[in-house]
Order: sequence, then structure tokens, then C-alpha cells
Amino acid sequence: MTITNQPSPLVAEKLSHYFGKKRALNSINIAIPSTGITALLGANGAGKTTLINCALGLLKPSSGDLRVLQGKAGTQAIKQQIGVMLQDADLPDLLTAREHITLFSTYYSNPINIDELIKQCDLIEFADTRYRKLSGGQKRRVQFALAILGRPKLVFLDEPTTGLDIDARRVLWNTIRELSSTGTTIVLTTHYLEEADALADRIMVIDRGQLIADGSANEIRKVVSGAVIRCESNLSISTAEQLSGVRSANRSGRYLEVVTNNGTETLKELLSKDPKLSDLTVQKPTLENAFTQLINTPKKQSTRSNQGELA
Amino acid sequence: MNAFINETGAELLKAMRAIEFLLPTLVMPMSFYALFGVMLSGAGKNAIYLLATYGVFAVMGPSIFGFGVGVANERDRGWLQLKRAVPAPPLAYIGAKLLTTLFFAATALLPIYLIAGFFGGVELARGTWVSLFLMHLLSVIPFVLLGLTLGFTLSSGGAVAFSNIVFLGLSILGGLWFPVTIFPVVMQKIAIFMPSYHLGELALSIVNAPGEHTPSTNLMAITVMTLLLTGLTLFAWLRQR
Repeated sequence: MTITNQPSPLVAEKLSHYFGKKRALNSINIAIPSTGITALLGANGAGKTTLINCALGLLKPSSGDLRVLQGKAGTQAIKQQIGVMLQDADLPDLLTAREHITLFSTYYSNPINIDELIKQCDLIEFADTRYRKLSGGQKRRVQFALAILGRPKLVFLDEPTTGLDIDARRVLWNTIRELSSTGTTIVLTTHYLEEADALADRIMVIDRGQLIADGSANEIRKVVSGAVIRCESNLSISTAEQLSGVRSANRSGRYLEVVTNNGTETLKELLSKDPKLSDLTVQKPTLENAFTQLINTPKKQSTRSNQGELA
Repeated sequence: MNAFINETGAELLKAMRAIEFLLPTLVMPMSFYALFGVMLSGAGKNAIYLLATYGVFAVMGPSIFGFGVGVANERDRGWLQLKRAVPAPPLAYIGAKLLTTLFFAATALLPIYLIAGFFGGVELARGTWVSLFLMHLLSVIPFVLLGLTLGFTLSSGGAVAFSNIVFLGLSILGGLWFPVTIFPVVMQKIAIFMPSYHLGELALSIVNAPGEHTPSTNLMAITVMTLLLTGLTLFAWLRQR
């Protein structure tokens, strides 16, 4: 990753947000890189959307510091420079894509030409169809068009592809990559590891309102590499942990679950230690395994700060 | 300004395209008036009386449904949230909806005036027609506030149900369909708490309809109610954010 002198477009310091007693952001420290695509990866309820909503000025943080494009979140001046696709925001059914875009273009001081935008986002076929009649993927593309309409420096995409089929997802991925290639900084949230992997230059894993890992897709993938072995076995957890390559072992009822760096080796040893084991499955680690892994690892937060000279 | 004009255009388009929704609020007052005010009562005094009260009834529909159901629906789907995240002028949305409501209120009033004048034998000085029209249009304000409160508070499904109840309740209890004087005393007492009642009375005093009218009391009552509703709307708005 190239180191730039540009300040981070989004810096949170000890940022907390509570919904009643529930702590959605727990004194999180984060600095989004000034270029490329950053994925905020985490399970549902991890605090990703809360962070984005704070950055948009939709939520007022309970405590801590938050700077967006070196300014205060939620002011008209900052909103002019930001584009957003919210997680659950649907547009009114009875207007067409073109009408939605026309209305939104009056909000921005320097919007992209409407026809150009329609072409750029590949909306031509259905630009004059009422929103209600569009497919899920088409709706997201209209929302995406609204997000980039004002030529933003920073774009937030909150779960942009949730609920889309794989084709529609690929189409949107391409559009997001194209946007990034024009120099726009993109922050997207996702709970799909695959999506973060496919798009992001930098992945920040968020769990229970905290940043628990931060690195390139490759660095994160290492944590999640290997295999998860599950079987019915009487072996004790401590024995299982001794096997070569094993990162962690757990037991639920009669089942033993082992996360390992080296599936083949671990499996060989496992079979020789317990020839009677049964009901065996070997799977790629899920994001959940990765989280368990990340959370169990003592804090080695590599928050690579590149925020420049921020006051 | 440009944003406001476009916002109003968008609101008008949405409303026109929801014709199945719009039609009843436009057609119902007109047909009720033609039936009860003119055909069944044989024109004359009743036609004048009911012109005043059905005018209030006519503007209530677009106000309560447009704001109650419209805002609830757009809030439910996250549309208002998105508008807050983008640099949309904060009041343009409400302003545009208000202008749209006034447009449809006028559209609902016009046929009633025509029926009254041509078939109901209602004769009023030109100035009185204008005052009545303005009175009816201004009646939109408390109903819009009421609609907004519903819209900010309820889910879109709940808003449909509640708007209907409020709409019918205000019409009947406020004496817009039949004069409250033919109601039992208890219901006459209830009417005093209905903004629709006071607006109806004010309209009645403008056309000098039969019966005793105390416009200053009505004006005071409706002012207090409007202020209360403004407070309620602000509270609902702050709470939903």
C-alpha cells in the first residue's frame, strides 16, 4: 500500500455509542486510509452501521472524537462531499430512476450530468421505469447512482450487496471498483468475507464495537486460513490442542471442533489418536471462526495510523 | 429554491401516481355534498350550511392521509433517513408536501363550490366566496400537523388504520357531515374538543349560515389546538430521529 500524506478522511478516537444500555461502539479507534477501498468487516450487530451512521451525522456519538473529512460529521458542507448508500433505505416506489436522480441532483453544488450518470451506472434500460418495478439489483444500482451523483470524495456503502444474487453482486462490485479507480475513497461494510476479499485494499474487522484486526486482505486471510474439523470424538480438548497445526479446540456435547492451520496433518494425527471418531466434517473456516480466533488472540491491534497531522 | 421546486414536483408526481389513494379523498367529499347537501335536502339553507362544513371535510383528506400515510411510509422505508444523510434542505420536503396538499385541497374544494353554486342555489358575494376559500385552505394547517404526528409516530400500516379513524372521527364528531345540534348533548360536548368543529363553525360564520356562531371563541380554540399540535409534531419529529 502506498503511503500518502493525505489525512485520513475518517478518524474516530475512543468513539462510543450506546443504544440505551447496549453498547454499539466501544471506545473504538479507527483511521480510514485516504485512498482505495476499505471494508469494515463484521457480523451483524458488530457496530459497523453505527459507525457509519455516526460519520453521516445521523447518530450523535455518546462520547469520543470523530472527524470526517477534517470536519464535523453531519454539517451541510461535509454532506456535500460525501456519498452514501444506506443499509435499509428504499426510495419511493412511484418515481423513476431518472426522477430520483433529478431530485437529488438539486441537492449538490456540482452534480454529475444526469444523462452521463445514467450511462455511467448502466441504468439506461430502466431509467424511466418506476422504482417499484425494478429488481433488487437494479434498485441498488439506482441507490448507488444517488451516492456518487454529487462527485463525493468519500463514499459510504453500507451492506451494498446484501440480499442480491451472485450476478447482481458481481455487477455492483465492478461498479464499485470503477468508482475507486477514479480516486474516490470508499468505505463499505459487509459481513461477507468474500466481498471484503474481492473488493477491499484494506480490511478492518469490527467486533462488539471494537476494531479487532486491521490489515490487507491477505493479512486478514491468513488468520482465517486453514480448516475447521468437526467430529464425534472422546478426545479431550487439551489433547486436541497438542496436535500439530491446531489453533484452537472446542467441545460442544459429543462433538469436538478443531481449528487448524494445516487440515491434512491435523486430521492424520487426529485419526491415529482416536480411531473410533465418527461423523467427520472438514470445512473452510467461517468468518465466525475467524472472529473466535481474533477475539481469543491477545490484543495485537496493529492500528496503522496514517492520519497525518491531525489536531 | 431549485431543490424546493423539484421536491414539490416529485411530491405531485407521487401523489398523482397513487391515484387509487387520491381519488377517494377527492371524490368522496364532492359526492357526499351533492347527495346530502343538494339532492336529499332540496337545496337552499342546508346547501349553504353543508357547503361550509363539507369544505372543511374536503381539505381534511389530503392533509391527514398525505402526511399521515405518506410520511409514515417514507420514514418506514428509510427514505427520510437517507434524506438526512444527504445535503437536502431540511424543510424542503415538508414544504413540498404542504404545497402539494394545498393543491389537492383546492382540487377537492372546487367541485363542491361549483355544485353549491349551480345546483344548490347557494348565492354568496364574491368576497364571501374568496373568504370561504381561504378559510377552507387554512383549515389544512391543524390537520397537516395531526397527519405529521401520525406519520412520525406510526408504521406505515398503522398510519393507514389510524388516519382513517382520525379522519372519520373528526368528520362525524366535529359535525362536518351533520350539524352537532342534532346530536345528543354528550356528543355536543365532545365536539368542542375537535379542531374540525371549530373550523366548521368559523366557515359557517363566514357564510352567515343559520344558527348561533361565536367566531372569536372558535378562533381562540383553534389557535390553542394548533399550537398544541405544533408541539406534538415537534416532539414526534425529535423522537423519531
